Amino acid sequence: MSAAGVKVELKPGAYKSGLKPVWCPGCGDFGVLNALYRAMAQLQIEPSNTVILSGIGCSSRLPGYVKTYGFNGVHGRALTLATGVKVARPDLTVIAVGGDGDGLAIGGNHLIHSCRRNLDVLYILMDNEIYGLTKGQVAPTTPTGDKTKSTYWGNPEPSVDPCELAISTGATWVARGFSGDMKNLTGMIVDGLEHNGFSFLNVMSPCVTWRGDDQFKEMKAKLGYLPEDYDPARRASSVPFTREKDKITCGVLYEVETPSLTDQLEDMKERAMAGGEAPTTKEMLSAFYPKF
Amino acid sequence: MPTRDLTFAIVGSGGDGVITTGDMLAQTGASVGLHVMKVEAYGPQIRGGESSCTVRISADPIYAQGDLVQVLVVFNWADFAQFRGEILASPDAIVIYEEADDTAREDIDLGPDTDDVRWVPVPFIELAKESAGTKLAKNIVTLGLLSELFKLPQEPLEQAIRGKFAKKKSGVLEANLKGFEAGKLHASNVSDAAAGRRLQYTPSEPMLLMSGNELSAVAALHAGCRFFAGYPITPSSEVLHLLSKLMPEVGGYLVQTEDELSAIGAVIGGSFAGVKSMTATSGPGLALMTEMLGLASMAEIPAVIIDVQRGGPSTGLPTKSEQSDLWQALWGSHGDAPRVVLAPADVEDCFHATVAAFNIAEEAQVPVIVLSDQFIAQRRETLSMLTLDHEVRGRQMPSAGDLHDYKRYKETKSGISPMSWPGMKGGEYQTNGLEHMEDGSPTSMYLTHEKMNAKRYRKLRAVRDKYSYFRHYGAEKADVGIICWGSSKGPVKEAVLKANGRGERVSAFVPQLLYPFPYHEFQEYIKTVREVIVVELSYSAQFYKYLQTFLELPDGHTYVFKRSGGKNLTVSEVEDKIQKVLEMGALRREVLV
Repeated sequence: MSAAGVKVELKPGAYKSGLKPVWCPGCGDFGVLNALYRAMAQLQIEPSNTVILSGIGCSSRLPGYVKTYGFNGVHGRALTLATGVKVARPDLTVIAVGGDGDGLAIGGNHLIHSCRRNLDVLYILMDNEIYGLTKGQVAPTTPTGDKTKSTYWGNPEPSVDPCELAISTGATWVARGFSGDMKNLTGMIVDGLEHNGFSFLNVMSPCVTWRGDDQFKEMKAKLGYLPEDYDPARRASSVPFTREKDKITCGVLYEVETPSLTDQLEDMKERAMAGGEAPTTKEMLSAFYPKF
Repeated sequence: MPTRDLTFAIVGSGGDGVITTGDMLAQTGASVGLHVMKVEAYGPQIRGGESSCTVRISADPIYAQGDLVQVLVVFNWADFAQFRGEILASPDAIVIYEEADDTAREDIDLGPDTDDVRWVPVPFIELAKESAGTKLAKNIVTLGLLSELFKLPQEPLEQAIRGKFAKKKSGVLEANLKGFEAGKLHASNVSDAAAGRRLQYTPSEPMLLMSGNELSAVAALHAGCRFFAGYPITPSSEVLHLLSKLMPEVGGYLVQTEDELSAIGAVIGGSFAGVKSMTATSGPGLALMTEMLGLASMAEIPAVIIDVQRGGPSTGLPTKSEQSDLWQALWGSHGDAPRVVLAPADVEDCFHATVAAFNIAEEAQVPVIVLSDQFIAQRRETLSMLTLDHEVRGRQMPSAGDLHDYKRYKETKSGISPMSWPGMKGGEYQTNGLEHMEDGSPTSMYLTHEKMNAKRYRKLRAVRDKYSYFRHYGAEKADVGIICWGSSKGPVKEAVLKANGRGERVSAFVPQLLYPFPYHEFQEYIKTVREVIVVELSYSAQFYKYLQTFLELPDGHTYVFKRSGGKNLTVSEVEDKIQKVLEMGALRREVLV
């Protein structure tokens, strides 16, 4: 609100912190950051009521570039911090961000359980199929056979489809986007923020430094969209669009409305407080007198 | 001659009702204002296997578990053998045992000096079957027998039985009451054995009967904690259990996380968001939390972590106490990561220490570890209603001026900078596990790192100056001074008071703030003693070695009594050491003069 009491519209630029990103020129994460600014402006999100949390990795630097409350934590634990923020302060808008190594390798367990809990946050996973910050090692999303700094003879392991994982473990809104497709990506972030429950957005975000100059072109060539009549309410619908090899199909793969963790905890609180006033310390202690 | 202090131990298999019997004895004592301490011990089995329950009941205040058991009830000698060296009978103990168990006496190890114990075979199974129609009632038969033999308060015991079985299907309560009567009747057959052991007391107001874990849980809520995240681990889970009921009742939130990494992460997140937050764990869990303990230090986020110690390393002795997480609590982290370590010294202290932990965490914006242990966290003892006059403090908020050009990590004399939280306009900042400038933006500059390390450590000085928690027992000037911490205090205090009663000049110093250490108070104390004994349950003497890192303990006059945990410290162990050092000191003075 301005001094005159007139609501000032926040433009995307108003969400910039002023800190210059450390990312390499051409990094896909710039696209995600810009889409986030636009989505936040579109929803007129109040910066002081918003927290963006991350782990460690190139993309985990993102919170520093947005003028909200931000937390660049430790490797793999963005969702643990987000769990605390959202559960303790259900009134806040909470966004977690990070890369494929952070979210699927070291932090994989937290992703599974955040999906299962239907934690009411938006989690944006910037997927470049490589470890960038540590300079080019194999990641859980690196295609089988690819040579990286740590797979001299080629990657011997199969990769994981993050969207398939999220759908199977209970996320209630799951989408795949591409950092080079600003319009659609912005729309998806808006959708994800508006969804009640765990929103998982996997953004294909090329790494020009460790995946070569061609990764962007290759991703763009594979880009496709879900068919018009796609039914996101059915888990089975998503199956043909997971574990894709020659395509990257973007769109909202899965969306259902079930009570979020916040809903459940508020309900629990209501039931627990049905008696009226909260018990005093003395009353809590008095329960430990012998019961006869 | 009657007695004012009796220690019972009941031993059997899971399913024998050992724990129920102990519970009822303890509840009964508490209901008539007797002082009670109840300790349970189990094997590692989930169900079945050996279990024991030791209940000390006294007309006078008590500080320790009874060293030697005066009334031992054994349903099965094979189970008793599992507690060899842990449950020791007194020289004149009454040993009441299942008649049908024909284990030879020479195969039974009751402890040293037990040649003259009184053996009392009782056909528990037969009595239970005859009276109640099931051998399951043998523990209730036991209660009847004990109540009659030792003149325990019968009416509350009967009420306890009614309470326990009232909701069972019809006939169960009646059967158990018959079992209780059968036990009482049988007492006349063996009453000679109990001569001189009848409990003498004057009934008074009921006492609370609580464990340290339960007190920690209530204390957290008293201090304003409204978010708890935890992962179950023995012996800390009762904190999680009780808070799962109470937290929503006071309008707060609780999550059982997928692991301890997530628990500490959520606590840091909740606290960052402006809500007082806590977790509770044991050594293995604290090990997993260690990386993010450093994050809380670095990002200066208040966090309270209760570590209920158990025997280690690794899985160790999950159900038994030890004081061997000290180094992990003090120093467990990469980098220079300041934190505060508090150690409650008894059951009630779990309440005070937890409230203090929140005050310190919020004021100094540091992680605070409350180093409890299984012995005080899980044993139940009687206490009077707390006065609850604790001061409860919050964190320093930024002023309107601070928020104008907000610097979250502003350089200050105390090292403490005003802390905003989400919802505060103008207070937005990005915090970091990375080294950062005053506004929170990341940097790798040496100069900033040095300055910020100094700022973070400076906060500990404020804590030490304000909170010099310690206890001092016994003589003003002492020939022997004992230094110990945590649950060792109980047996040490009892030994010191007994020694003082004999006219011996003995004292004890028990720091409850372990880090930063109440250095000046300790220096004053050490001037008042001639010989020093450091007492702890850590095989590698972690406490003694910790003291050595910054204190000059009197050269040639310092003794260490340390051993592994797994068996609680006893008063007689401490007394024995006091006697030896008293003699040694006297001898030395004779030689030197």
